[in-house]
Amino acid sequence: MSPTADVRAQILEANRQAAAALRQRFAETHTLVVNLISSPGAGKTTLLEATLERLAGRFRTGVLVGDIATERDAERIRRLGLPAYQILTGGACHLDARQIEEAWAKAGFGALDILFIENVGNLICPTSYDLGEDFKVVLLSLTEGDDKPFKYPAIFSRAELALLTKMDLLPLVTFDVAAVEQQIRTLNPTGTIIPVSAKTGQGMELWCRTLEQRWQAKRG
Amino acid sequence: MHETGIALEILRMSERIVQQQGGGRILRARVAVGELSAVEPDLLRYAWEAVVAGTPAEGARLEVEFFPARQRCPQCGPVERRPGSWVPLCLGCGAPLTVEGGAELDLLQVEFEPQGEAG
Repeated sequence: MSPTADVRAQILEANRQAAAALRQRFAETHTLVVNLISSPGAGKTTLLEATLERLAGRFRTGVLVGDIATERDAERIRRLGLPAYQILTGGACHLDARQIEEAWAKAGFGALDILFIENVGNLICPTSYDLGEDFKVVLLSLTEGDDKPFKYPAIFSRAELALLTKMDLLPLVTFDVAAVEQQIRTLNPTGTIIPVSAKTGQGMELWCRTLEQRWQAKRG
Repeated sequence: MHETGIALEILRMSERIVQQQGGGRILRARVAVGELSAVEPDLLRYAWEAVVAGTPAEGARLEVEFFPARQRCPQCGPVERRPGSWVPLCLGCGAPLTVEGGAELDLLQVEFEPQGEAG
């Protein structure tokens, strides 16, 4: 009989510790940290552009954006005259807390009210990695189909906020909003769902007000 | 597909534990994977085979214990469900259900050869 050691430790313990250190730092500076997760093309960057324009002048914001390749997304944010830093993952399908630590140090944002982390476009892998955020936001665009919450239950059960994006396409696509909301509520009974369109502005006020309320709550 | 990174973490943790115990080669690692952990047990097993290959742990087994999420009615108690299928509302009283557990992603146990490098 070979010896065994009983462990009971989180496999992602190193990431958890890095995330806890980030959470502590951002608690001290009262910086609200939002981790945006969706499949590629659900509209994370477009949502951010519309969100940042609404928050500009009232909140100091910064964006850390993860992609496998290209600086495109950070450039889009910087074009608005707002700070953004691109994290290139070189093939990795998610961001982890140590990448955030490093990117934060390099970005040189200074004091922020709200830090947005735009994760790599992927509905699965980013779910497992705590980035020290206050909450995760999952985006589901109307063109992805209305069966996705039950197909990807992990992220929908963990994201405090679900945004149904590209609502302006509703007349053009078959998408049962009520059925999707029911699926999300089943997985996450205490979560909030906001249908939005960055194009028409639908839901944007409620989304930005939610951010503002969360920021105020963190400020104490 | 982040299972490779996770398998690598399991190997690193297991190596550290065996080293602390003064043991030798890793023979088996047992992990808990929850239904809502965003990790696929089969992919994790394949990834494990790939990450231990060429290391002293080559050939070590990975045992995956699957933990389903549980749904519960605040009034009527636990609701029966199969993994992968979700009950929208309590079949008895129609109340919204809560979801518990299923987030597990833990190393549970490591088995190893008794002789370490020093032994």
